[in-house]
Amino acid sequence: MITRNPRWLLSLIVLFSSFFSSVATSLAEDVLRIGAIPDQNPERLNRLYSLLSTELSKELQIPVRYIAVTNYPAAVSAFRTNSLDLVWFGGLTGVQARLQKPGAKVLAQRDIDVNFRSVFIANTGSGIKQINSLNELSSLRGKRFTFGSESSTSGRLMPQYFLQEAGIKTTEFAGQAPGFSGSHDATLALVQSGSFEAGALNEQVWLSALQTGRADPQRVSLIWRTPAYADYHWLAQGNLDKRFGDGFTNRLKQALLSWDKKSKPQATILDLFGASRFIPALENQYKTIETIGRQLGKIQ
Amino acid sequence: MIRLRLNPTPPLLSLLPALALVVVLMEMVPGIHSGGLQSLIAFISAAFHPSMDPSVVSSAWRGLQITMATALLSWVVSTLIGVVLGLASATLIWQTFIGKSWPAILFRRLLAFPRAVHELLWGLLLLQMLGLSPWVAILAITIPYSALVARVLSDQLDSLGARPLIALRQSGARPIQALTTAIVPPMAPVLMSYCGYRLECALRGATLLGVFGLGGLGTDLQLTLQSLQFEQLWTALWMLAAVMVILEQLISWWRQRLRSSGAAPKELLVSVCLMLILGICSSIWLQSLDLDMASSIRWHQLPLPTVSELITAINELPWLQLIFNTLLLTVLAAGIAIGLPPLGMMLWPSQLGRSIQSLLWGFLRLIPTPLAALLLLLNCEPNLAVAALALGAHNLGVMGRLLKEALDQQSDSCYQALKASGAGDRVAWLYGSLSAQSPSYLAYAAYRADVMLRETAVVGMVGGAGLGWQLIESLSSFNWAQVYLLIGVYAMLTMFGEVLSDHCRQLWTGSKKKPVMALALQS
Repeated sequence: MITRNPRWLLSLIVLFSSFFSSVATSLAEDVLRIGAIPDQNPERLNRLYSLLSTELSKELQIPVRYIAVTNYPAAVSAFRTNSLDLVWFGGLTGVQARLQKPGAKVLAQRDIDVNFRSVFIANTGSGIKQINSLNELSSLRGKRFTFGSESSTSGRLMPQYFLQEAGIKTTEFAGQAPGFSGSHDATLALVQSGSFEAGALNEQVWLSALQTGRADPQRVSLIWRTPAYADYHWLAQGNLDKRFGDGFTNRLKQALLSWDKKSKPQATILDLFGASRFIPALENQYKTIETIGRQLGKIQ
Repeated sequence: MIRLRLNPTPPLLSLLPALALVVVLMEMVPGIHSGGLQSLIAFISAAFHPSMDPSVVSSAWRGLQITMATALLSWVVSTLIGVVLGLASATLIWQTFIGKSWPAILFRRLLAFPRAVHELLWGLLLLQMLGLSPWVAILAITIPYSALVARVLSDQLDSLGARPLIALRQSGARPIQALTTAIVPPMAPVLMSYCGYRLECALRGATLLGVFGLGGLGTDLQLTLQSLQFEQLWTALWMLAAVMVILEQLISWWRQRLRSSGAAPKELLVSVCLMLILGICSSIWLQSLDLDMASSIRWHQLPLPTVSELITAINELPWLQLIFNTLLLTVLAAGIAIGLPPLGMMLWPSQLGRSIQSLLWGFLRLIPTPLAALLLLLNCEPNLAVAALALGAHNLGVMGRLLKEALDQQSDSCYQALKASGAGDRVAWLYGSLSAQSPSYLAYAAYRADVMLRETAVVGMVGGAGLGWQLIESLSSFNWAQVYLLIGVYAMLTMFGEVLSDHCRQLWTGSKKKPVMALALQS
C-alpha cells in the first residue's frame, strides 16, 4: 500500500499536467469584445447587446462578442486590463476608464446624452415641496435620501454635486449618510415605498417608469430637474487599428453613427437604447464630469 | 486545594444570543411601513409564476452552469492544496521528520492572511490583476478555502496526539510509514466529511461572487433584483434551489455512508481520484461554456499607492467609527443567526413545526445576503438593524441546518427519559436534546461569527457606515490607498476574531480540540 503511493501520485500529476497543456493550446481568434455598464435588467441587456453584436459583426466583417459585467467598477477594471475592447460607459465610469487606460478613444454618444439630466424625486407622504431653484435643495436636509449606484453619473455624481452647490453635505441627511440603492429602478422603488423620503435618478428611467406605470404619481413625484450635462458614451481601446487593421476605429465609429430607424434591427437597438440615433462625441464634453469627479473624490 | 470554575449552562448559552433579535426589532419596527407591501406581494406571487421566457431561462441556465463548474473546480483545487498546506502546518508532521516544530508555526502564521480576507475581496483584487477571466472567481474561492482546509486539517492532526506515532517510530518504522499508519485511518472520515461541506460553501461562495459581478448565476440574481424583475429573479432562484437541494441531499447521503462504512484509507484514495476527475470535468465544462480558460490569463500590475497617498488615506477615513459599526453589525447578526434556530426548535417542537422551520431555513440559505437586504429595505427605513437582519438571515439558514443535522444524529434517549418523567415537550427538548449538542453548537457558532465578520463587506451598502460600505465606495473611486488599508483592517479584525472565538470555544467546551461537526462551519 505504502510503496504504491508514489506511483499513484505520479500518474495523477501526469493526468493533471496533460490536461492543462491541452487547454493552453486552444488559442482564441481575434474577437471584438464589447461590454456595457449594467444599468438595465439582464434580459434586456442580453437582448440589446446580442442584437448589437450581430449588427456590428455584419457591418465590420469580424466576430463580435458581448461579455456581461454586473457592476460599474468591474466594467472599468475590465477595460483597464484589456478584457473589453468597446464599452458603453456612463459619464463618470467613462472618464475613470480613459484616465486608467491612456489612448482610449471616445467614439459616440446617443442624441439624448448631450443634454442629459437627473431628477430628484420625493415620496408624496414626505411633505417635501417642489424645488424651484438650486438653493431650495436645502429642504432635503435631515431627510432620508438615497442615491443609486456609487459610480453612477446621473444617480450619484451629478446629484451630489448639485447638493454640494446648494450647501448640503451628504452627512446632513438622516442617519448621517445617504443610501446607495444600487440602481435607478431600486431608487424609484425605495422612494415610492417610503423607505427613503427622497432620491435622485436618471431622467430617462424616470420618464419610462411614468409611461409604463411603474412610477405611481399618487405616491412619488418629481421635485426637481437638474441642469443638463453630458453622460453615457462609447469608449474604445486605443489599439484597435493595430489589431483589426488601419482605420478600423474610424470604421467602427462610422458604423455606429450610420444606424437609423429605417433598418429593423437597427431600429430595435436604438429603441432599446432609448435614442433616435448615435452622434459623435468628444473628450472635452466630459471635462466637467472629470472636474466634479475629482472634487468629490471619485477620480484620483 | 480544589479550584472550582463556574461554567455557564450551555443549553441556555446557545439561546441567549437570540436577544440580539430584540435589539434589532426595537430599532427596526418603528421604521416598518406598508409602502413596500406591493413589491413584497409581487415578489412572493412571482415565486408561483417565474418567467419562462426562453431567453431568461437560457441565460439563467448558462449562469447556473458557470456557477456550478466554478464551485466544483475551486472546491477540488482548494481541497487538494489545502491538504498539502495542512500537512505543512501541522506540528506533528515536522516533529516526526526533522524534530522541530517552527516551520509548522511559520506556515500557520503565513496562512492566517489569505484566510482572513473574504473570497469577495480576493475576487475584486484578482479582477485587477487578471481582468475578466474565469480564473478570477476560481482563485478567489481557492485562496481562502485552501487556507481554511489547511487550518482545520492541521488542528485536527495536532489534536490526534503524538503517542501512536512515537510508538511506531520506536518500533523502527520510517517517518513516512509511521505517519501513514498513524494518521490516515483516524483522519480520513473527518477530512472526507468536512470536504463535503466545503462543496456547499463553494457553491454559496461562487453565487455570491456572481452577485458582485464575477459572472454566473449571481449576476442574473443581482441584475434582476436591481431592476425589480421578480419573475425573472425567481427563474434563477428556483434553479439555484434545485441545485442546492440536490447537493445537500448528496452530501448528507455521502456522510451517512461514511459513518456506516467507517471510511477506509482505500476510500480516501478513491475519493481523491473522484475529485480529480470532477476537477477535470468541470474545467472542460467551463471551457465548453465559452469561457476561455487559457487565453485570458494575462498578468496586469496591481495599482500600488505611494506612501503619501497611504498617509492621506489614514487621515481621511473615520476609522474608529467604521470599525465600531462593523463590529456592532457582526454581533447583532451573529446573535440572530446563532440564537434563533435553537429558540425556534424549542418553541415549536412538533413535527409540523420542524418541517416548516427546515423549509424556512432552506429559503434563507437560498437568498444571498444582498438580495435579502434590498427586500427588507423596501419595507422599512434604512438603518444598521436592517443590515444586521439581512446578514443574520442567511447565516441563520446555515446554522439551522447544522443544528438539525447534529440533533438528528444523536439518540433521543435523554429526551424520552425526561418526557417519561413528566417534563413538558419544550423542557424535555431543551435539557434532553439541545443540552448534549450545545457545546459543539456553540463552537460552530464561534466559527460562524468569524464568517459573518468577513461577510459584513457584503451588506455594506445597506449599513451605509461600516468598513464594507467604505470598501465598495473606495473601490468605485479607484482609491487604492484606501482599498489596501481597508482590506488590511478587515484582515486584522478577522484574525482577532479568530483568537477570540478560539478562547470562547475553550471556555465553553473546556477542550482545545475542535468538535468534528464544527469544522463544517468554517466557511
